[in-house]
Amino acid sequence: MSQEVEETLKRIQSHKGVVGTIVVNNEGIPVKSTLDNTTTVQYAGLMSQLSDKARSVVRDLDPSNDLTFLRVRSKKHEIMVAPDKDFILIVIQNPTD
Amino acid sequence: MDRKAELERKKAKLAALREEKDRRRREKEMKDMEEAAGRIGGGVGIDKDQRKDLDEMLSSLGVAPVSEVLSSLSSVNSVTSDNSNTQTPDASLQANMNGVGVAKKQPLNLSVYNVQATNIPPKETLVYSKQTQTTSTGGHERDAHATDYYDEYNLNPGLEWEDEFTDDEESSLPHLDHGFTSKLPPGYLTHGLPTVKDVAPAITPLEQKKEQEEKKEIKELSEEQKQMIVLSEDFQRFVLRAGRVVERALSENVDIYTDYIGAGDSEDTNDERTHARLSLNRIFYDERWSKNRCITCMDWSTHFPELVAAAYHNNEESPNEPDGVVMVWNTKFKKQTPEDIFHCQSAVMSTCFAKFNPNLILGGTYSGQIVLWDNRVQKRTPMQRTPLSAAAHTHPVYCLQVVGTQNAHNVISISSDGKLCSWSLDMLSHPQDTLELQQQRPSKSIAVTCMAFPANEINNLVMGSEDGYVYSACRHGSRTGVNDAFEKHLGPVTGISTHYNQSSPDFGHLFLTSSIDWTIKLWSLKDTKPLYSFEDNSDYVMDVAWSPIHPALFAAVDGSGRLDLWNLNQDTEVPTASVLVEGAPALNRVSWTPSGLHVTIGDDTGKLYVYDVTDHLAQPTRDEWSRFNATLNELKMNQSDDV
Repeated sequence: MSQEVEETLKRIQSHKGVVGTIVVNNEGIPVKSTLDNTTTVQYAGLMSQLSDKARSVVRDLDPSNDLTFLRVRSKKHEIMVAPDKDFILIVIQNPTD
Repeated sequence: MDRKAELERKKAKLAALREEKDRRRREKEMKDMEEAAGRIGGGVGIDKDQRKDLDEMLSSLGVAPVSEVLSSLSSVNSVTSDNSNTQTPDASLQANMNGVGVAKKQPLNLSVYNVQATNIPPKETLVYSKQTQTTSTGGHERDAHATDYYDEYNLNPGLEWEDEFTDDEESSLPHLDHGFTSKLPPGYLTHGLPTVKDVAPAITPLEQKKEQEEKKEIKELSEEQKQMIVLSEDFQRFVLRAGRVVERALSENVDIYTDYIGAGDSEDTNDERTHARLSLNRIFYDERWSKNRCITCMDWSTHFPELVAAAYHNNEESPNEPDGVVMVWNTKFKKQTPEDIFHCQSAVMSTCFAKFNPNLILGGTYSGQIVLWDNRVQKRTPMQRTPLSAAAHTHPVYCLQVVGTQNAHNVISISSDGKLCSWSLDMLSHPQDTLELQQQRPSKSIAVTCMAFPANEINNLVMGSEDGYVYSACRHGSRTGVNDAFEKHLGPVTGISTHYNQSSPDFGHLFLTSSIDWTIKLWSLKDTKPLYSFEDNSDYVMDVAWSPIHPALFAAVDGSGRLDLWNLNQDTEVPTASVLVEGAPALNRVSWTPSGLHVTIGDDTGKLYVYDVTDHLAQPTRDEWSRFNATLNELKMNQSDDV
């Protein structure tokens, strides 16, 4: 089972342009990461806050709605956030490649 | 003699002097001892003189070991100290034990007591200190209990209770306190406001949580904790689900910032494509699971037309991997990885989606088992499998199909020993029905290699066999079993495809077969002779498939890597479009997407190709059906001419 998890994460990481993959738990603590520690902690803390905020925005606008995906496009990167009940998957990619 | 007498007298006098001297010395020694004893007992300098006088007086009177007097004195003192020193029982205790010396402290104690008495008023203002005591004991209890209900229901009773406590147990509890209450007079404690503090320390659970979270944000998980999370089922489910979504998002790399003002240079390739009748769209391949595995079967999902399931044979170069693999590929998204990977112990020879259940995938294996996978479960191994017994299949299952309607459908499987079983998806423990497919005249079982049901048909089926014959058979009714044997191919039949039915005119009786004898034959159920034989290939023709939307179009693949499209309305001698797959792999299976605009091919090395068919070739014009009818008539005429 965990082998499949590894496979999936490796596949994502090996995708062209992907800079890093982080899995964060619902408290914003990184569980798995392909980046170095400081970057990971930074991304984990900030992105989980952002996704919490985004989720609350979505829910405030319509209580029956929920956040499913979040893409942050910047000049340098694109950050994809797949939030869930217990975990958040963060993928950082370089769209220019 | 006088002299002697005088001498005697002097001697006596001397002795008397000596005696006197001795007595004095003894007396002095006694006195010294007394003094020493007094000093050891902690006698104070001022007392010394007094006592000396006393001793001398006593000694002169002939009364008195002074120690006795002292001890008696001390006992008297201790009694008096008991009376006076009610607040410090400790001191009296000490005095009793130590005897003589401590008696001297007694006046000191008295003085201390006086000081304390004066000190009380300033201390009395420290109601605060008393409160901390009560809250510290009460507070601890409160923390331990569930705070909410305690506060809600027990507020006032709790206060009263506490008051009672402080009143009654004041004197009995000093050992619990740290010296404060013992010094305070008992009366003071009950007054003041112990109740105010009780409410304040109750911390709401929300606040506590916030504090914890703030702490947690700082800390990091240890390796073991991480490992625990990684191994949890929730985590794995999440990664597989989120991973799939992210992969799709990643591969959909549409640049929404495309600058059209700059020169566009991608139009040339588009032009090329429109010119080609067949162009390669993409290749599905997984390094680990596809490599060296021959694709044995393909099937399209009815619920999700973009999903194709491909069955793979075993990989002889890696005997440790599972023999049989089925992968579900997604043709809609550009992601290069399979949606699902399933495997089982035996090579999968045939696969199909459970038509009326989007989550189930069936596989017929080389061992004869039929296995069932469920893509809702985080498990790659089969959820269910049929038993390996004589009641079911004991030979490779080459044919597998779900026939019927939503409410009444069966799984039909045929193994290479000619045994047909029909199963209910709800019960795979034994087949609902079995049928031995046997040749009639020389009675022997038919080695079935492929089967097909004519469109909308659930009772009659056509089968290709290893001996080159094509048979039609009936599942139910008066003529159960094999009915007709069609004229034979010169080699084993590799593929069979029935025409999709279009109500009028009815082409449902038409079917195609491909064979190792390098030919493709067109048949009608109404005739045991082939309508036509296509003999353009120069290798084993491995599979053939009718287009699902065009009445006269079919695709065929052969062992030399050639993909042919035949449009019978245009030409029956040579294929309308033909393409040689790069690397000339032996192509084993061909299949149309349900849209009829793409052809997928499976080769013997595990690659799954998707080819685009141009619109003008794939889409039928309005008169295509009538033209195909004319073509068929023409073919029939030619056939009768030949005979």
